[in-house]
Parts: sequence; structure tokens; C-alpha cells
Amino acid sequence: MLKEIIDTVNLKTSPEDRKKIDQVFSKLYSIYGESEDPWGLDLHRAKSSIEYIWPIYKNYFKVRVFGKENVEDRPYMITSNHTGQVAIDGMLISTAFAIEMERPRILRAMVERFFTGLPFIGTWAAQGGAVLGDRQNCEKLLERNQSVLVFPEGVRGVSKSTKDFYKVQSFTRGFFRIALSSGVPILPIAVVGAEELFPYVYQAKTMAKKLGLPALPLSANYIPLPSPIDIYIGEPYSPPDHLNADSSDKDIDHHIFEIESIIQKMTDEGLKKRRKFWANVK
Amino acid sequence: MLNSKKKILIIGAAGGLARILTSILSKENPNYEIIGVDSRPQVEEFKRENVQFLKIKYTRGNFEKLFRDNEFFAVYHLARMSHAYSNKSNLAQRLDLNIMGTSRILELALKFHVKKMIILSTYHVYGALSDNPTFLKEDAPLKASINHPELRDVTEMDQLATNWMWKNQHRIETVVLRPCSIIGPQIRNSMSQYLTTKYVPLGIDYNPMFQFIHEFDMANILARSLDEIPTGIYNVAPDEVVSLRKAKSIIGLPSLKLPLITLTPMALVVKKIWNFPDYLIEYIKFSCVIDNTELKKHLKKDFLRFTTKEALELLKLKL
Repeated sequence: MLKEIIDTVNLKTSPEDRKKIDQVFSKLYSIYGESEDPWGLDLHRAKSSIEYIWPIYKNYFKVRVFGKENVEDRPYMITSNHTGQVAIDGMLISTAFAIEMERPRILRAMVERFFTGLPFIGTWAAQGGAVLGDRQNCEKLLERNQSVLVFPEGVRGVSKSTKDFYKVQSFTRGFFRIALSSGVPILPIAVVGAEELFPYVYQAKTMAKKLGLPALPLSANYIPLPSPIDIYIGEPYSPPDHLNADSSDKDIDHHIFEIESIIQKMTDEGLKKRRKFWANVK
Repeated sequence: MLNSKKKILIIGAAGGLARILTSILSKENPNYEIIGVDSRPQVEEFKRENVQFLKIKYTRGNFEKLFRDNEFFAVYHLARMSHAYSNKSNLAQRLDLNIMGTSRILELALKFHVKKMIILSTYHVYGALSDNPTFLKEDAPLKASINHPELRDVTEMDQLATNWMWKNQHRIETVVLRPCSIIGPQIRNSMSQYLTTKYVPLGIDYNPMFQFIHEFDMANILARSLDEIPTGIYNVAPDEVVSLRKAKSIIGLPSLKLPLITLTPMALVVKKIWNFPDYLIEYIKFSCVIDNTELKKHLKKDFLRFTTKEALELLKLKL
């Protein structure tokens, strides 16, 4: 028991891990170049961040990735459910795609407008690849053969009260229209385990609105608990040829619903297979 | 014809950029006659025969005489009163000069059948905002004055010029240029000053992306606008984008590293070391990266001579 706790909080990067990160980044430098990109990606900074994130990813959240075989060497619009109150899921998915894949890549996570204006965090995230969630940014990055990570549930997904955990909220349509205009397949992702980072949450929506915040979670804990996390990567979903970016809402809605259902299904199946942790034992 | 030379008027001719432009135009085109006007005296006289400088006040009467006496083929409007020292108290003066002055110039250009009008605006019109997408196109809304009403003249002048341009596009060819930060030893704008001043605040909490163009490259694009660029609004910027911290490290001067969120409350003290306009804080916090696709459609070859790194290194000559 004690050993388990010590292992959980062992947040040092081992020499083997360091070697692995070095190897991955030498590949990434050759793909993305060593200088900053126009959106502020700075691989040298990203590397030093990963050196801190990797032990958390591996030892604290004990992340497992399923469905790596579904990822080919091409750009995707990676579409995930959004859970866990703070956007830790984005950081973990990005780490998985950078370190765990055969062909590493930096995901360009589309973030909230609120986020990019934050001091320190906004710049830190941009250096790691995050980008303001804007249609133009998304299209330009896909044009440059980069993969983007979107959370079409937006704040509604991440900031749920306990009773709504693991219920995929309805998606907005923008991501699908961009996928149609750029012809990039959608790669569905389900993250299981992140809701229990903060297991008891009440969303103070009225107060958040008054304070001008996107969400205000009232939680029993404000440090995320070490809930084991599983990332499921589904099969790519190619946008149908007969639709285009200006097709009517009616025509695209059932495709969006289908993607929601795929992610909900992966989540439900993932919940059956997840590892035990005191906060998720019913 | 007694005088077959094409006459070009450069308004704001005492400025650093205008001087480089005058030099390029007069050297490359000996058959052009260049008349430069400014309300300020020029630093050094041009020795070339085809260049003439007039120190005049920008009044309607003076301008009208100038246009009547000379049949100008092209007019460069580079006389926007700098917003480098903008504050609320000189807004009225800047509005008068930048808006009324521009309106006067445009009206006269039309009246006296000028063929080409080239107007220098700035990328500042888009504003530096946390929710700016990267690579703003020319049709992006001009949001500079949302947070900083003292930049009203900058956006208004641009809008005045562009509205006029479309309205009269069949009578006169007009080019409105919105360059990124122009830097160089001869330029005294707020960004050149910021980069070449010791101990200016540099954010540890923000690191916006910037585009820089060397003054020579900018002057060259102004010169090429005469024949190579048709009516329209054009962002002028290199493909390269660099973060502010990187740019400061290339210049190599020491800076005061602090969280910029503390800068507004500390402004009174900081302004004793570094006299900056309030809006500049936004520009050293948030990016305003512009898209150069439109310009590149017309200037394909030798678009720029200097890389961003070279432009920044050449700025050291100013030190």
C-alpha cells in the first residue's frame, strides 16, 4: 500500500524516460523545425514541459492508450469528449500523441478565448502547441498538414456537475464544417477516468456568469486526484463526399450525432474496463 | 513638352522611411521628379537633381497650390502623425491632421487627376487582442480602438482611405499598405524604440508573436507599389514570425523581466525609464500576426531582402 502511494507520487523523470523523450523530440525537431511557429509553438519549451508532464502522465494518472493502430501518418481532426473540470484531458491526449505513437506529432489543441488571455498559462500552452479555437487558425493549421485537437462540447463538457459525469454533451457544428472544407478525417477519442479527478462537483453557473468566468466549479478537492486514465482512439470517420462546408444543419446534424454516439459508446465500454480507484468504486 | 518628367509627391518626406523611399525612387528612375513635403525640416539635404524638398504647413491653400502647379502622376501619403507618443491630450491634434489632412489630400488628388495614390497605414489598426486569430487578412475588422480609444485616428484614417479608394477605383488607382512593425536604424517608431532601449519591461507572463520588416524592404515595397501593385488594401509582412522574447534576445539588450499584469498599475514609475504609449502594453502582451498572401500575388520575386534575424541585427546599428 505504502509502496503504491510512493510510486504514485514519484514524479521524477527516469533516465530511460529522458532518453525516450530525447529520441521523440529529435524526430519532432525534424518535422516541425527548431524555431517558433507563427502560433507560438516552441519545441524546446515544449520539451522541458513534457519532462515534467511525463512522470505525472505515467505515474500519477497511469495513462493507458488504446487504439494506436487507428492512427496513420496523416493529419486528423482529433475530436474528444471533454471531462475533468480543468483541461487536463487535452494535456494528456497531446502527451500521448507526442510520446506514445510510432510517429510522434504535436497536436494543436483548440482552446477557449478566455484561455489565451491568461497570463503565464496562455503562453505556456501556446509553446506546447495550443492555439486559439478559431476557424481560421484551424483551417490554416490543417492546410499545413498539422493535426488539431478539438473538444466540440466546449465548456459544457468540461464543467459538468457530478450527476452528469460521462454523459457526452451535444457537439457544436463548427468542427465538422471545417473537416468538410479541409477534407481531413475525424479521429474520435474518448477519455475515461478524468471525471474522478474532481469526483464531487457542483457548478455555480449563476455566480460564474456574474464574475464573467466560463465556469465556476465548487469541488471537495482542488488538487486533481490520481484517478487512472484511459484514452481510447476510435477508427477515423471520413466526412461524406456529398456534403460540403455550407451544407445545411439538417444534413450534417446526423453525422455529428453519429460521432457523439461513437464517443459515448467508447466511453461506456471504457467505463466497464477501467481500473479501480477509491473515488470510482460505486 | 517642356517637362516630360513624371512628377511624384511624397507627403511626410522628412520621415526616415520617406527618405529611403526618395532615395530609391530618385536613383532608380532618373526621369522621375520627386517633390517631398513636410512640416518638419529635413535632417539632411538630398544632393540629387531630381529631388526637391519643401517645408510647408499642411494647410488647404498650400496643398492646393502644390497640386495646381505640378501635374502629379503619383502621390505617396506617408504623413500620418505618429501614434508613438499617443495620449488622450493630443488626440484632437492627431484627429485633425490624420483625418482632415488625409481627406484634404485625397480630395485634391482626385481634383487634379493624380493617377496613383499610395497610402501608408499600419497593422496596428487590427489591434492586439487575446482572441486574434493568427494571420489576419485584410478584411478582418479594425479593432484597435476597442480597448484604446486614443488609437481612433489610426483606424479612422485607414477606413477613410479605403472607403475613398473603393468609391473612386475607376478614376484613380489607390494602394493602402498595412505593414507589420517596421524596424531599422532610421525609423523612430514605438517598436524600434522598444527594441533598442535598455531595461524596458519584457513579459514573463506573455510572449506574443511578431513580424518585423526592415525599413529598406518597406521602402522598396512602397517604391514597387507604383507599378506593380493594383488598387487594394495589402498587409505587408514577411512569412517569418518571431516571439518578442526571441527578438529581444537577438538584439541582446538587457530588459526588465516582469509580469506584464503588474505593468499597468506600475505605469507611472516605469514611464520614468521608458516613455511608452499605453496601447503598446497590449502589443507586447498579445499577438497581431498578419497574412501577406494578397501582397505576394503581385510581388513574387525578391519580396524581401532581409530576413527577420538580419533586420533585428541591423537594428543594433542604432545603438
